[in-house]
Amino acid sequence: MDELEEIKVTFFQECDELLADLENGLLAMQSGDSDGETINAVFRAVHSIKGGAGAFGLDPLVRFAHVFETLLDGVRSHKIDVTVELVRELLRAADVLADHVQAARTDGVVDEAASADMAAVLAALTASGGRIAPVGGVAPPPAPVVTPDDEIGSSFKPMAIMSLANFDEPAELPSLGGGAWTVTFRPKTELYRNANDPLLLLRELERLGPITVAINDETLPSLSEMDPEAAYLAFTVTLDAPVTEAQIQEVFEFVEGDCDVEITGGPAPAEAPALDIAALLAAAETAQIEMAPPVAEPVVAPPVAVAPPPVIEPVAEPVAPPAPASVAIEAHPEPAPEFTGVLASAIKTPQPKAPPANEPVANAQATIRVDPERIDRLIDLVGELVINQAMLAQRVIESGLASSSSVALGLDELEQLTRQIQDGVMAIRAQPVKSVFQRMPRLVREVANMTGKSVRLVTEGESTEVDKTVIERLGEPITHMLRNAIDHGLETPDERRAAGKPIEGTVRLAALHRGGRIVIEVGDDGRGINRKRVYAIAVEKELIAPDAVLSDEEIDNLIFLPGFSTASTVSDISGRGVGMDVVRRSVQALGGRISISSKPGEGSVFTLSLPLTLAVLDGMVVDVAGQTLVIPLTAIVESLRPKAEEVKGLGPQGAVLSVRDSFVPLVDIANALGFRSDKRAPHEGVVLLIEAEDGGRAALVADAIQGQRQVVIKSLESNYRQVEGIAAATILGDGRVALIVDVDALVAMRRRDNTRPTEPTLFAAE
Amino acid sequence: MSDVEDMAIESLALAPVLDLKAAAPLKAALLERRGHPLELDAADVQRLGGLCLQVLLAAGAAWRADGVPMRIGPRSDAFLDALRLFGGENAFSFQPEGASL
Repeated sequence: MDELEEIKVTFFQECDELLADLENGLLAMQSGDSDGETINAVFRAVHSIKGGAGAFGLDPLVRFAHVFETLLDGVRSHKIDVTVELVRELLRAADVLADHVQAARTDGVVDEAASADMAAVLAALTASGGRIAPVGGVAPPPAPVVTPDDEIGSSFKPMAIMSLANFDEPAELPSLGGGAWTVTFRPKTELYRNANDPLLLLRELERLGPITVAINDETLPSLSEMDPEAAYLAFTVTLDAPVTEAQIQEVFEFVEGDCDVEITGGPAPAEAPALDIAALLAAAETAQIEMAPPVAEPVVAPPVAVAPPPVIEPVAEPVAPPAPASVAIEAHPEPAPEFTGVLASAIKTPQPKAPPANEPVANAQATIRVDPERIDRLIDLVGELVINQAMLAQRVIESGLASSSSVALGLDELEQLTRQIQDGVMAIRAQPVKSVFQRMPRLVREVANMTGKSVRLVTEGESTEVDKTVIERLGEPITHMLRNAIDHGLETPDERRAAGKPIEGTVRLAALHRGGRIVIEVGDDGRGINRKRVYAIAVEKELIAPDAVLSDEEIDNLIFLPGFSTASTVSDISGRGVGMDVVRRSVQALGGRISISSKPGEGSVFTLSLPLTLAVLDGMVVDVAGQTLVIPLTAIVESLRPKAEEVKGLGPQGAVLSVRDSFVPLVDIANALGFRSDKRAPHEGVVLLIEAEDGGRAALVADAIQGQRQVVIKSLESNYRQVEGIAAATILGDGRVALIVDVDALVAMRRRDNTRPTEPTLFAAE
Repeated sequence: MSDVEDMAIESLALAPVLDLKAAAPLKAALLERRGHPLELDAADVQRLGGLCLQVLLAAGAAWRADGVPMRIGPRSDAFLDALRLFGGENAFSFQPEGASL
């Protein structure tokens, strides 16, 4: 990839981020957060896009960004007040800017009319100090009109200042075919700051030939509102001289970047550079050049030697159909050569077609952007490779080859390589959680507004990377946790004042890697969980026994129980039909855990932990009643062989295991999943001590442990259906399907069975 | 032409160099005189830059909006040349050469 192209690719990637920043900032402003920092960020986003676009000569983008930036500069310097209407226009402008970026990226075109309208609105807003034009929104600031009545007294008859509106229309522009150049240039504020002046440029242009200049004062604000050191005027210069575009460009060479320049028109191509002619002829040879209406009939380019290409004619012959009408070059096998001057207006007129959405950029090989589906496919393939490699290893073992044999050694290396490839491919797909986090400020503001609370969102660890499969599923639980934190966690401003806290509540959203998982924490500095109330509600809703003895942590986590809702009034925010139990279930379905810890008066912290990827899993492979199952390694605390005396019966069915002075409920996997109905003494098998998401422990009983292995996760839901207690499936080395156990669900199943009223409770037994 | 009206006209002598540094003072000086008939004395102007041109154009619009006259009286060649280059020569009407206020 050529270096410039690479930089361009990076530029467009940055544009995506900047556009996101821009929108975030504007949304922030919309919801009333118009502090200097936000406005600066918004300004910077547009400014950076403009700067980069200027470097690549993306003129339409630069022009639009400039008008946008000018308005934002006014906002930034408090000349223009932030109003809801203004922000609405700014959001619209952000959309148009995004369209421009997209057009520049794909060599497509934007809706010029829409862009021009929007630019006019922005310019009008700049000029009017942010006042929205009453109709249509596109009216430039009212142009003062001079009538004789304006004059005071006869003594002032000779002096009047003409309507500035006159300057909007360049006076008597010669027609393009007449050989005149039209140079439109708009100095930026930087131009003046760099001790330059348009006057010097005009003087230089005049050296090339006679010029006529028209001022464009569309964006000139009123005297009292204008920044005397900011640039508002643009100039349209008509230069009637036999000069090349390059000569004109030379004039602006020293103000590049400080000035938007557009050069159009130019003399007839009689003396156009030989290169252009040659290129044009080459184009004519290979292309079918079609004259669109008014000359409707397609004209096939005649051989070069016989006649000049048809495009030139209309330009030289004013009688012929208007040249630039629409010349379409079709079936062009090579990139069109660059043309300048009138040739440009003739040849360039084939407007690049706006490509359909998602169509790869023409120069696709010159970009590092990859369709995510391709990566997904690669990850699937690598998954197959891992399985295949495991199967091969299995065959080698079965064939009785010594582990020191060259085949076995080679397989070991293959395994390592496979693992590395897998890690590498997974790293390609890993994304920072920023993409999810950056959606949250808007949500927080909305919820804050609706609840009448003042909230500050603090985010940490935005760059924490996690697999795309997880990223996609993070948004929903985080959204709900944030809503909950603001709606239920934070106090109202009055309550906070009474409690001696800052009126503004703080909600903290953090991401971090811990123990091979991604942990998302949502904390608030609110009132904390009212345990008495939670307990009472749980009893009232018959979620727990009235005499149940629960630890603080257990009470806190009651809010995750189905049917639990603490909000005394069902609010718009949290009461959207999705309780924390649903959130917990969806998190568990991802192999994740969610818990809450709380300190009265100090706040609560939701902790969500998810695997880094949903594509592979490190698991313990176990035998259960002739079946091979995989237990996620992250859940396992330790494995042990229990002694008979450590197992205590509990009620008619249950049993607990004594582990270092504490009792842990025993769960026979074979019974729980229905592989075996008869009871088997736990000490005949192995026990895997696992920790559930709420911190509670359980001891899973299996028949034997095969070993630890990384497995590729295959969705059971999409290939079969959801099975309670089973998270997913995988394919083992021998080709058999092994089920991956959903540990938390398994424990929950047992709890549910045990809490049936007919069964004795834990405390009644023994 | 009545003397009384003549007396009401304020005159503002423009600085010789109307560049970036002069723009803010020029704006301030003009704002100070807002609402009064004004004659700009451009006799000493050696350089007129784009920023001061903007200020003058905006002032012209302001005075017109107020319905108060403003004109350019004495002016240097440099001032006229700059106005011409800017395409602003028609933006202002001038006190005829030699005419007294």
